[in-house]
Amino acid sequence: MKKYWQIAKGRMQENTAYSAWYWAGTVSAVMKLLIIYFFWQAVYANQTTIENINLETMITYIVIAMLLQGFVGGVGNELAENIKEGQVAIELMRPYDMIFKMFAVDIGEKIMYLIQGTLPMVLIAYFFMDLSFPKSPETILLFIVSALVGIWIGTFFDFLVGVLAFWTVNVWGVRVLKESLITFFSGALVPITLFPDWLRTITEFLPFQAMVYLPVSIYSGLISGTEAYMALGIQLFWLVSLYVLVRVIWSQAIKQITIFGG
Amino acid sequence: MRRYTRLYWEFAKSHMKVMMEYRIDFLIGVASVMLEQFASIFFVKVVFDHIEQINGWSFYEILFIYGIAATGRSIHQIFFDNLWTLGWQYIRPGKLDRLLIRPVNPLFHVVADRLHQDGFGQLIIGLIILGTAIPQLDLVWGAAEIAMLVVMIISSGLIFVAINLFFATFSFWMIDSLPIVWAVFNLSDFARYPLTIYHKGIRMFLTWIIPYGFTAFYPAAYFIDKSGYKEFALWTPVAAIVCCVLAYTFWNRGLKAFASTGS
Repeated sequence: MKKYWQIAKGRMQENTAYSAWYWAGTVSAVMKLLIIYFFWQAVYANQTTIENINLETMITYIVIAMLLQGFVGGVGNELAENIKEGQVAIELMRPYDMIFKMFAVDIGEKIMYLIQGTLPMVLIAYFFMDLSFPKSPETILLFIVSALVGIWIGTFFDFLVGVLAFWTVNVWGVRVLKESLITFFSGALVPITLFPDWLRTITEFLPFQAMVYLPVSIYSGLISGTEAYMALGIQLFWLVSLYVLVRVIWSQAIKQITIFGG
Repeated sequence: MRRYTRLYWEFAKSHMKVMMEYRIDFLIGVASVMLEQFASIFFVKVVFDHIEQINGWSFYEILFIYGIAATGRSIHQIFFDNLWTLGWQYIRPGKLDRLLIRPVNPLFHVVADRLHQDGFGQLIIGLIILGTAIPQLDLVWGAAEIAMLVVMIISSGLIFVAINLFFATFSFWMIDSLPIVWAVFNLSDFARYPLTIYHKGIRMFLTWIIPYGFTAFYPAAYFIDKSGYKEFALWTPVAAIVCCVLAYTFWNRGLKAFASTGS
């Protein structure tokens, strides 16, 4: 346990050095909040609800979704680099499980991001945009669990995309594709209930809605009661499935390496 | 001038060869940019499935604003994309010093070093958006209007170039100003929607300080009568020229500052 924590800590230190990027990121996030705020104000200028969602709930949903989406990525990029440069062969010889090592790096990064990136945004958003809080402590608890599961689903998925580097040359194109798919289907831009019916049906069979839409819907009250627990069940299903997939594909990929190694 | 045209052609020819060599990469690049754009348009479409208009602007009018920005940006992305890399590809590894001793304008050299394939995806999607929006707009299109649209789109592209050039120039003092360039570039997201939805301060900022308003909203407002900005929109080409002059002057200053530290 201790070694993985050291790895996480190392990444946290590295990240503090990138302060220029930090400020650029903060400024950009604030601008994004402003756009969201004014855009939805204008959308609601002539109506009080859209699909039974009022302005306050909508803005709450969109802002929380935007903040949560920042955590949905993972280590895929780094893994792909490692594979491309052959670093992975050395990594595999080291005395740790490489998958857990990568996730430890990722956790370190995400904790830093939570403190530096997300918390200031949360403060700004609550202060200036009157976001609403969940009604009951139960909802808050449910949201936290759901969000953590969603983040892990995103991390596993990202890992799977990264592993593709064993087989494909253009990793970058695949990554852009992944980003677009997630933005599209995870409900990060707009609640999935607003989608046309046919698209909503497709979305229900994909893992992406479990990353953002389900946790944020629990938070903003779009899903409540038994439905919320069912949503959590769907998330757990995806979490387990994707983890199994990560293990299976990873062991296949490692076989690939021994073949290259001759 | 003729020498530079010929030189650019030589540069471009070698880029084309590389692009054709990696054909799949070229296609993936183009496709991914198109998909990205498509995602944000889809967002607007989903919202408009539930409402009639935003601040008096219909779906196709918003699409028109979007199309002008996308097409204008493609000019910047195809030909001037290399400005993004000034810090980490030229200044940090010392490559810029090599460029400075060549008998070519250094800015020209940096710009001509790359012809960006993804920009073609942007161009295609921009034209598709404009092609979808324009027939729905109930406007009369004569030769004059088409010429004006072309002028507006080129102006929009030039403003993108000028803003990026201006902030990339800070790299001469701080080695790599990419975070600043990136943050400023993100401001262009504001220009996607009618500026009238924003607070007055933001509108002023996007008009007079960092004029992304001229990359999409004002040019579109020229064609859409009810906006009330028809006359003001005529300043778009002027704004583009002023921005380019300012950015180039600043670039030259930066270059001077850089050269003096190099010795």
